[in-house]
Amino acid sequence: MTKKEIKLLDEINNKFKIDGRIQREHRIWVSINVNKLIEICKWLKEKGFVHLSAISVTDWLEKKEYELTYHLWSYDNKMLVTVKTNINRNTPTVESVSPIWGESAQIHERELHELFGVKFKGNKDLLPLFLENWQGPAPFRKDFDWRDYVREKFYDKKNEREKVYYD
Amino acid sequence: MIKEMELAPKGTEYDFYFGPAHPGSGNFGVKLKIDGEIVVSARADPGYLHRGFEKLMEYRTPIQNAVLSDRLCILEPLNWNLVHAEAVDELMGIEVPERAKYIRVIMAELSRIQSHIIWYGVFSKGTGFDTGFKMAFGYRDYILDLFELITGGRVYPAGYICPGGVRRDFPDNAKMKILKVLDKMNAMIKLEELENPAMNARSKGVGVLRLKDAIRLGVTGPVLRGSGMNVDVRKEEPYEVYDRLDFEVPVRKEGDAYARYWIGIEEMKQSVKIVKQALKDLPDGDVIEASFKKPKLSYKIPEGEVYVRNEISRGEAAIYMVSNGNSTPYRVKVRGPDFLHMIPVLEHLLKGAQIADVPAIYWSLNICPADMDR
Repeated sequence: MTKKEIKLLDEINNKFKIDGRIQREHRIWVSINVNKLIEICKWLKEKGFVHLSAISVTDWLEKKEYELTYHLWSYDNKMLVTVKTNINRNTPTVESVSPIWGESAQIHERELHELFGVKFKGNKDLLPLFLENWQGPAPFRKDFDWRDYVREKFYDKKNEREKVYYD
Repeated sequence: MIKEMELAPKGTEYDFYFGPAHPGSGNFGVKLKIDGEIVVSARADPGYLHRGFEKLMEYRTPIQNAVLSDRLCILEPLNWNLVHAEAVDELMGIEVPERAKYIRVIMAELSRIQSHIIWYGVFSKGTGFDTGFKMAFGYRDYILDLFELITGGRVYPAGYICPGGVRRDFPDNAKMKILKVLDKMNAMIKLEELENPAMNARSKGVGVLRLKDAIRLGVTGPVLRGSGMNVDVRKEEPYEVYDRLDFEVPVRKEGDAYARYWIGIEEMKQSVKIVKQALKDLPDGDVIEASFKKPKLSYKIPEGEVYVRNEISRGEAAIYMVSNGNSTPYRVKVRGPDFLHMIPVLEHLLKGAQIADVPAIYWSLNICPADMDR
């Protein structure tokens, strides 16, 4: 753990009054309320976190929450800051970060919209990416089981050879 | 290849579908709108290889996932093995033995060389230099033979680099054979360096990617280095034993297809250098951590989350893994470099390009549809 990580975390603490965690060298994790998400993203971009490595969603079924994680890398400071925020699982809506990081954010959000059903307000292009003519629920949600779906849709219980899939 | 050809009222604009069955394009298509000779707009059409790895991994234990992680990219399975293994290692707090670390680096670099050879091969094919394509796939086979000797699989190593180390030690003759293959690779590099006028004419000044755009589009790896930025995850946050090895990061300023092609050649030279050093320093000892030596039915992954970044031949690869204490990970997010290279970057570069330059631009990005669709 080096000085630059502690320094950045202090700055975040002072500015946004939130606690963060230094996992190891190059890795900082912070959680923030969804209202302040755009504010911290803009601030971090100005601090040199120009590379949006990935955006991810974790579906916490029991807490009924989606956890959004933004993995940001700074080429100057050589640090990865992960900004986490929680949103409601049933009506997942969040402000888009595509005005901040441009096309790279746009495409990550488009993917998550398709796989998790998150609505990104302000993202202009959220058309389906991978799936064709998919009518069902968002497929990466925890309460959607692919194996059940495949069994019902593609296998036949009466077929002698496909019976095993139902045991 | 032409799915539908609709004449616009003007009579000069038409739709053109590049892929998904084009030789070498992979399972991927681009919908182009063309006016005369100029591409007006391009729209990527991914999804032909979408297998949902992120979800598949949620149902499986790390040992099963190690095998699954091969399939993330057909052209460089060992590098993806390494990313996955490192994520599990960090979550479980496993100390990987020194010898295993060196073997991991050697295998990852050999995999990088063969991936760059394919890159050169398909780029030659795309620009009409068929000899280069055939030579490339011939020379690549020497490395595949090595993989067969060491891992047991020519293309897919079946999770050779697994959590805790590597599955088995080098056979006795491996060191000698690797050195011999590296000599062959030097011959291949010499061949690549012979600049043929046709390829130069088709790649110089084509598909120029400015650094400012590159950063906004999320470009990483050789494509970003071709646009003039000196970045490499192996230098930024060294994993395994990269901090002990001496190598350089090639950078070009032009940002065109030729610069990217040149970066590929230089990186192969550096990889040969790295493998030679790692072979020289290779220590004795175990190749897998003690608790992984005997297979157990299930390993519990401690609660936590990690984000692991690696430099694979195409750029920055990362895995975000969350565990809630079960034997299977709760969530795995795979970040492939080509997700960005093949959708926003390709659309950006193709816009305004000549129709004849489409293949040169397409293959100069070192694409792999498998790691984009996941």
